[in-house]
Amino acid sequence: MTLLQIENLIVSYGVQRVIKGISFSVAEGEFAALVGPNGHGKTTVLRAISGLVRAQSGGLHLAGRDITRLRPDRIVAEGVVHVPQGDLLFPGMSVLDNLRMGAYLPAAAAQESQRLEEVFSLLPKLRDRQQQIASTLSGGERRMVGIGRGLMAGGQILMLDEPSLGLAPIVIDQIYELVQTLARSGRTILVVEENAVRIADMADRMHLLDNGEITWSGSGQAFLSSPDIIATYLGG
Amino acid sequence: MDVTLQILFSGLTLGAVYAVSTVGLALVFGALNMLNMAHGALLALGGYACMWAMQSLGLPAPLAALVAMAVGAAVGGAIFVLAARPMLGQEGFETRIFIATIGIGLVLENVIHKFFGPQPQAQPLKLDGGMMFGRVNLPWQNVLIFVTAVLMMVGVAMLLGRSRLGRAIRATSMNRDAAQLMGVPIRRIYALILMLSGALAALSGIMISSMSSLLPNMGADPMLKAFIICVVAGLGNVPGAAGVAFALGILEALIQYVFGVQYAFAILLCLVIVVLIWRPQGIFGEREVIRL
Repeated sequence: MTLLQIENLIVSYGVQRVIKGISFSVAEGEFAALVGPNGHGKTTVLRAISGLVRAQSGGLHLAGRDITRLRPDRIVAEGVVHVPQGDLLFPGMSVLDNLRMGAYLPAAAAQESQRLEEVFSLLPKLRDRQQQIASTLSGGERRMVGIGRGLMAGGQILMLDEPSLGLAPIVIDQIYELVQTLARSGRTILVVEENAVRIADMADRMHLLDNGEITWSGSGQAFLSSPDIIATYLGG
Repeated sequence: MDVTLQILFSGLTLGAVYAVSTVGLALVFGALNMLNMAHGALLALGGYACMWAMQSLGLPAPLAALVAMAVGAAVGGAIFVLAARPMLGQEGFETRIFIATIGIGLVLENVIHKFFGPQPQAQPLKLDGGMMFGRVNLPWQNVLIFVTAVLMMVGVAMLLGRSRLGRAIRATSMNRDAAQLMGVPIRRIYALILMLSGALAALSGIMISSMSSLLPNMGADPMLKAFIICVVAGLGNVPGAAGVAFALGILEALIQYVFGVQYAFAILLCLVIVVLIWRPQGIFGEREVIRL
């Protein structure tokens, strides 16, 4: 069953059209990845889905409900959880307060304690760091808080923007281990990732975004075994 | 000893007044990046609203103060709805809202002028008498101002630090996009911040007018000092602004005693310049790194 449907989405910054009428969908329980070169609009797609940038035209539907013109806070309430690029933590707040902000909406707040325990069991390091101010955390810890904060919100779909960006290889492994754990638990995930090889063997479905257009969609394995794609995007 | 006590009492009273008016301004700047130039008019409006509630409605002083704060909150909310909200997210918001609130301030001052006249009036919310510390008289009015300010500071600190709304306000101030992604309705939060700032400005106006007198433009000088305090503390830093307000209040009282009242503001400005040369981002502000 389709959970997130993007239809002919167009997004512009001023006169520059960044997303040029893309369509794709994410099924319930699917681990989908949006990959492509840097600066070709992947982050903009996520920002349009979560309402941080307005779609010029096209439609965004979540579980059949039109969310195209909703405010970001309403889109979150509908169940879209967006862990943005660069984490966007609240730097002056403690780790615990950052996590609790994830459960800001009443529906999530009602389950705050339970979700906090779930986050701490998935990310035990955060339990030890819960009183630490977010701005003093390392890059990997910040990323974990960002994902943990997203998990606190619950929601129907978790969107992760470049979760491996700027991290050491060992930390990237930990982050993707966590993402895989979440995917195996049946959570619907849409990941934006520049490092397509890293994500290809995990994703159920991949969409290649090139210069604001979806140029290829298929399974992760199909992506890796496509010589044209490898040659064009992976330098093979 | 008596002189020290006198300076301390005056300084703490001045600091309390500055703190209440500055915290509102700092909250608004921290969350919206908005310098509210109508803040001074809101101070005056609060002072006059309290007088009107006591004299025309016959309300007791505490209720009259609450009415004044409600008026300040309503006008603060109106400033958001009529001026800030239509401009939010547009290019040059900071400059546009700066100019717009200058206009709103002038309109408010003229409305006060029209209804209450240009002549100075006495603030009826005033306590007579005082208590003696040795040979130093501490007026009850100063005690009332100080206690009210401290209670208000504690209330604001509790609101920001302990409540869900406070967390949302702090989150919005720290990162607008991230707050939205948590489901925070930032426009409602902005409106609430301007309402809170308006209520605090009204309370500050009551305090200031009880120490001097009511005049339509009485808010100009305190607003200027509140801006100075905000800049010295680091724009948008609320606890820092409260601390600097008390420090500058005591410093001003000291300068008034040593050099005379007429030099206080000039010397204060010189000190502020020195502080800003030393730390351009303010004492508690964080340096902004711009990567090119």
